[in-house]
Amino acid sequence: MSIRSALALFGLTALPPCAAFAVLSLAASPVVPAAANEARGPAADISAQLAASSPSDPPGVLVSRQLLEESGLAVGEVVLFSADPRGARPAPFRIVGSYEPRPDPMRLGSKRLEARLHLPDLIALMADPSDPLASESVASVNVALHDRKDAAKFSSDLISRMPGLIATPTAPPPDEADPFVVLERFHLAIAIVTVIGSTAFLLALMAMRADERRETVGILRLIGFTRRGILLEVLVEGLFIAVAGAVFGVLFATATQGIVNRFFQWRYDTALVFVRVTAPIAARCIVFAVPLGVLAGLVASWTLLRRDIVALLRR
Amino acid sequence: MNPPNTPDDGRRPTAGAGAAPPIVEAAGLTKVFPMPAGPVVALRGVSLRDDSGESIAITGPSGCGKSTLLHLLGCVDTPTEGSLAIEGRDASRLSDFERSRIRLTKIGFVFQRFFLLPMLTAWENVELPQSEAGAPKTARRARTRELLDYVGLADRAGHKPSQLSGGEMQRVAIARALANRPLLLLADEPTGELDEATGEQIVELFDRVNRDGTTLVVVTHNPILANRARRVLPMRSGRLIMESPASSIVAREEGA
Ligand SMILES: Nc1ncnc2c1ncn2[C@@H]1O[C@H](COP(=O)(O)OP(=O)(O)O)[C@@H](O)[C@H]1O
Ligand SMILES: [Mg+2]
Repeated sequence: MSIRSALALFGLTALPPCAAFAVLSLAASPVVPAAANEARGPAADISAQLAASSPSDPPGVLVSRQLLEESGLAVGEVVLFSADPRGARPAPFRIVGSYEPRPDPMRLGSKRLEARLHLPDLIALMADPSDPLASESVASVNVALHDRKDAAKFSSDLISRMPGLIATPTAPPPDEADPFVVLERFHLAIAIVTVIGSTAFLLALMAMRADERRETVGILRLIGFTRRGILLEVLVEGLFIAVAGAVFGVLFATATQGIVNRFFQWRYDTALVFVRVTAPIAARCIVFAVPLGVLAGLVASWTLLRRDIVALLRR
Repeated sequence: MNPPNTPDDGRRPTAGAGAAPPIVEAAGLTKVFPMPAGPVVALRGVSLRDDSGESIAITGPSGCGKSTLLHLLGCVDTPTEGSLAIEGRDASRLSDFERSRIRLTKIGFVFQRFFLLPMLTAWENVELPQSEAGAPKTARRARTRELLDYVGLADRAGHKPSQLSGGEMQRVAIARALANRPLLLLADEPTGELDEATGEQIVELFDRVNRDGTTLVVVTHNPILANRARRVLPMRSGRLIMESPASSIVAREEGA
């Protein structure tokens, strides 16, 4: 066993809810059986890993995959953690496992160099040495829940089990603050700009294509095709092309989303999913694209059809 | 060989057969094109009557208004002033849709530049106006075969315009113009882009079309084609100057 590095950095923010339960359930397991129960799956694994260290050994700690890779650490090694940026009062911990931090779009640029400690270890590590009661008490604990809607029920449950404890749900962040809502709006804005831009481009292209058809339209009008008949042809043709184009676009996005995700996951070293083509998104695309495509075709054709036959046939 | 308007269609009396109104009757047709540099007067009061079975040749120097007159007679364009009746119906009262129907079913067009649809074969070009007119498939097939046979291109049915010579393209155009058994065939310099020998074949074809019962108005510089017409109408500066026997007019045109 070798102590390879003293690490003065760790983060405990953005703990996945299940991990928070795990930490909490070890520290105060009788208090939150329901929560511990809920946190089966990965949380149970983490609990088992954390519990694996023997009493004489340094306490166990989980480090993020990024921290493990960045520092060249390995599971089983002992590291020193300090709450002080200069590395004062380090405490040894044994790495008992690593975890993939919950992807967070708000922290895309930052390396997720994090660790998860047992709550008592964390309290001890953070304790002010000049305050004898510092390691005996904890002023507050934040608990993240799987489902935000359970907050009221969870806090009243907690209060009934631990009289004297103040448990209040933190206000749910207003929608604007939810990074995913913000991202979605951003995407929608990009989408609208893209759609309008490409419609203008398409319109110009179709107007050019329509001009190539000037003589054809002139001949059709000359031999007795009605404007309405020609517009109908264009409508059917435009509908077919627009549907084919929209379906192709959705299929192309679906086929390439894996590549896009893998690239950005590699680029930002995160498990965040960047692109996901869902049925509602595909439906929205088609609902937008088809009428716009048909409209562009009709507008382009009308620029020809409103002209008189002699003008259409002139060289 | 089957004529373009076979007797069995029984729609029209032969020339001069009585009370039927003229196919086209124009009175005082004037056409002014408003241009940025000032209005261009293309026609100055042209009156013309074309009875069933007739053939008329309109001759005159370039720019005198021949094409413009033909466009007005064919409901392709509208006059600025004057009246036009097609089979006794006032053309100025017709909607765009009705004018399209007239072009489709009552009037055939042949132009110097053929105006075939390049992406369609000869067969498809001839069949197209029939489809638009709603002819049933079997009738269309029979009529298309009959017409391609009539213009001597039965063996070129599957060829696109780009694979045909000028004379062949013009014969396809004539077959297409006759597709819906029109009352009237309008031709604007139909031999203009053809060499003399090929032009003569086209002249022969027009002659036959007229003999087989289709009324003809031809704008031409070709004296041979003009000579075949029953009436020759010389034109100058937007006016029909006089009506004269074909031979004298042609002689004068050539002398000019
Ligand atoms: N669409 C148009 N716009 C403006 N001027 C036109 C148009 N069509 C014809 N013209 C003018 O009208 C006159 C007669 O033209 P046109 O009927 O084509 O003569 P032609 O067929 O006898 O050569 C010419 O001066 C021509 O420039
Ligand atoms: Mg002309």
